[in-house]
Amino acid sequence: MAGAIIENMSTKKLVIVGVVLLLFQAFAFMVGGLIAPSPTTAVHYLATKCVDNQKGHHQGRKWFMPWGPNQCDKIRDFDEAMAKRIEANNIVFSVHIPLPNKEMSPWFQFMLVILQFDIAFKMYNQIKDGAMVTIDVSLAYRDDTVSEWTEMAHSVEQRKLNCNLTTAKIVENEGRYYECDLLPFMEVGTVSHKYYLVNIRLPVYERKKVNVGIGEIKDIRLVGIHQNGGFTKVWFAMKTFLTPSILIIMIWYWRRITMMSRPPVLLEKVIFALGISMTFINIPVEWFSIGFDWTWMLLFGDIRQGIFYAMLLSFWIIFCGEHLMDQAERNRFSMYWKQVGPIVFGSFCLFIFDMCERGVQLTNPFYSIWASDVGTELAMAFIIVAGICACLYFLFLCFMVFQVFRNISGKRSSLPAMTKARRLHYEGLIFRFKFLMLVTLACAAMTVIFFIISQVNEGHWHWGDYTVQINSAFFTGIYGMWNLYVFALMFLYAPSHKRYGDEQSSGDQGGNSGEDIQLTTTITHADGPTEVYRMMGKESQE
Amino acid sequence: MPDGRVAVRAWSTLTLIAALCSLPPPSHAYFGLTGNEPLSILPLSFQPEDGPARAHYKLCDRLKLEKKQRRMCRRDPGVAETLMEAISLSALECQYQFRFERWNCTLEGRYRANILKRGFKETAFLYAISSAGLTHAMAKACSAGRMERCTCDEAPDLENRKAWQWGGCGDNLKYSNKFVKDFLGKRSNKDLRARVDMHNSHVGMKVIKAGVDTTCKCHGVSGSCTVQTCWRQLAPFHKIGMVLKQRYETALKVASATNQAKGEGELPHTPPRTRAEPFSRTSDLLHIEDSPNFCQASIYSAGTAARKCHKDKNCDAICCGRGHNTQSRVLTRPCQCQVRWCCYVECKQCTQKEEVYTCKG
Repeated sequence: MAGAIIENMSTKKLVIVGVVLLLFQAFAFMVGGLIAPSPTTAVHYLATKCVDNQKGHHQGRKWFMPWGPNQCDKIRDFDEAMAKRIEANNIVFSVHIPLPNKEMSPWFQFMLVILQFDIAFKMYNQIKDGAMVTIDVSLAYRDDTVSEWTEMAHSVEQRKLNCNLTTAKIVENEGRYYECDLLPFMEVGTVSHKYYLVNIRLPVYERKKVNVGIGEIKDIRLVGIHQNGGFTKVWFAMKTFLTPSILIIMIWYWRRITMMSRPPVLLEKVIFALGISMTFINIPVEWFSIGFDWTWMLLFGDIRQGIFYAMLLSFWIIFCGEHLMDQAERNRFSMYWKQVGPIVFGSFCLFIFDMCERGVQLTNPFYSIWASDVGTELAMAFIIVAGICACLYFLFLCFMVFQVFRNISGKRSSLPAMTKARRLHYEGLIFRFKFLMLVTLACAAMTVIFFIISQVNEGHWHWGDYTVQINSAFFTGIYGMWNLYVFALMFLYAPSHKRYGDEQSSGDQGGNSGEDIQLTTTITHADGPTEVYRMMGKESQE
Repeated sequence: MPDGRVAVRAWSTLTLIAALCSLPPPSHAYFGLTGNEPLSILPLSFQPEDGPARAHYKLCDRLKLEKKQRRMCRRDPGVAETLMEAISLSALECQYQFRFERWNCTLEGRYRANILKRGFKETAFLYAISSAGLTHAMAKACSAGRMERCTCDEAPDLENRKAWQWGGCGDNLKYSNKFVKDFLGKRSNKDLRARVDMHNSHVGMKVIKAGVDTTCKCHGVSGSCTVQTCWRQLAPFHKIGMVLKQRYETALKVASATNQAKGEGELPHTPPRTRAEPFSRTSDLLHIEDSPNFCQASIYSAGTAARKCHKDKNCDAICCGRGHNTQSRVLTRPCQCQVRWCCYVECKQCTQKEEVYTCKG
């Protein structure tokens, strides 16, 4: 047994496989672009200012509804509050998620809320440098419109106000609004309830300098982002379809490898591992989020994606390494620690960062690592280290690719002088490498191009009567593409049953078959290198 | 200076209430500052919880609306409140933008009605700021949950719910634009005046549209930008007012004298083309007649006599060269104020000598 399927496949068959894969690819794009709605929706909420009339002690928390039955006592603006001598601690900003006549659904998968302050400029009440705003915030839920609210989370959080006034700070410009950065507010990993209620207070304690010097807050606005139900459905359908496809090809691939007389080589194992990590992403465990209140789904999704990316990057390095053709002993994972090290370390950094952000959010949905200075520095440190690792990785990768190409051109010149079997072996290696190189580059380019298109565009194109959702097409298309990539990899790089020269050579050298067996998928087979060295020596003598 | 602010608000409220005088219905009553309702019914006096669910019917009746508008107003309890908020929003902004001008956006019924009967630059501004205010207020009301039906409005209830579950709803701005267009309605396009008014209303909506900012948030893996959600955000209404004020200053005059007979009006610079939409291409405000100078008391304004002005700044312009009186006053007023967020101000009392300039009659 020798070579991979791709080498022994006729051009016609290869073209057929390519066309079929391209059709699937087009289909993946179309599913997202034509069937699915846009991936996420952002909804604006303007907080209603309620007055807490309860004096003194409260038995339990009182919830303030912005509208509907049992709505709170509202004030229109703070001039009214001043006239009525209402204290800051008794003003409650209330937001009901979602808006009237709508309800949330588990299909929305996650809910991410952003906080924005409308702060008016006043000569005598300007925002001080580095002002922190302290918010006392609580979240409640209920599943019908009449029952009591159940508290979900309560926390006192600090957010840094990063505002600037675009005009001069003079009396004439009083009343203009500052332009403030978006503030992270809340992230919930599942949307298992129908109605949510957010109550925000801005308590003032002058002695502790809490909420002093934060300017004249006019309004609080929230923007709620959630995944669209339709997109989730399409996404789940895609996952449910892709899981068995990859699983079947994986089993087929592994059977082929175990059928061989030799133990699997490193590259084969890595391809298999890539298949496993792809399946790990594909398995639609998200179905459970419809029925269960699993807030860790968001974190779990991140981890799954991280594992796949790390695996894919490692695969590229090992693939290059195994095609170096410099006869050095590899075939062991430990040989690649220098290149894989940065990937593992970088992923680990991102994992820690994600745990610090989304991990903590499991217990406190209002937590944000970016809210505090130390947290921001820590987060930046993790991200920078991960970025350095990525740079390091790409340097290694580029260097390896360069080495492979150098060796290829070196081999090219000596190819005609080789024996048929060895020539075919090297030609096979070169073809395999170039093919994957080309496909990978195409996939990466597609990803980048579509990413840019989806960022630049408004999100949808009108195309006759159809509305094409570019963002959704990007997600389903790219997801489908990498699945097809892994699929094609396992299919085309599986060991072939055919022997070298079965078709091409007319058996000009009878004694080749002995050598053939030694030349496995990648040169380095248990005792391959010595054999190859021997051959190399022979070649140089010639 | 919070006390100053309160004073300004109280003053503006007073002036608006003073404009109670009922109007003869202008020929083209749209809405807001261009409508024929007295501007006294301010939202400030409005209590949302005053009675049964039909309370908003009364409100809709108090606003003098046309048949279709009243129907739209009654459809949703939130609309009436929003309409009134729109009026006060545009009224306050108009007065703020014109506080240093000869015409200080007096909204007193008689003057306003007379301005609305003509085709001045000021008329154009009133139309534009009214529609802009309504668009703005409507979008805001949507996000405050005051409206029962906002986006996803078209279909019946069940389908609404389905649409929301499947792909979310469109944004508030789109809805409010549609609402305002519907609310102001399509008028017979024969009359030049009506078409100019219509155009100016549309300019107001367009300015709102142009002032929209797109903001994005990244929330992909570990907060990376692989997944990004963008939304459109309204500019503060002050900014809208500023843009409209600039448009007012550069408003174009439509040649009407010669073409009026045909009912055809063209921009001065564009050659006559198709009759279809001669105005829609420009985003400038249009007017037909030259404005009066608003110096003397007339049917359009009370004149600038006794108007306060700022020396070295606008006294010459406002007083129309009649000169100004200077009055010295000793005022005791709060200063060096310590303001804390919401509702607490501590000030010292300072005695200051102040010069007050008023225009001579």
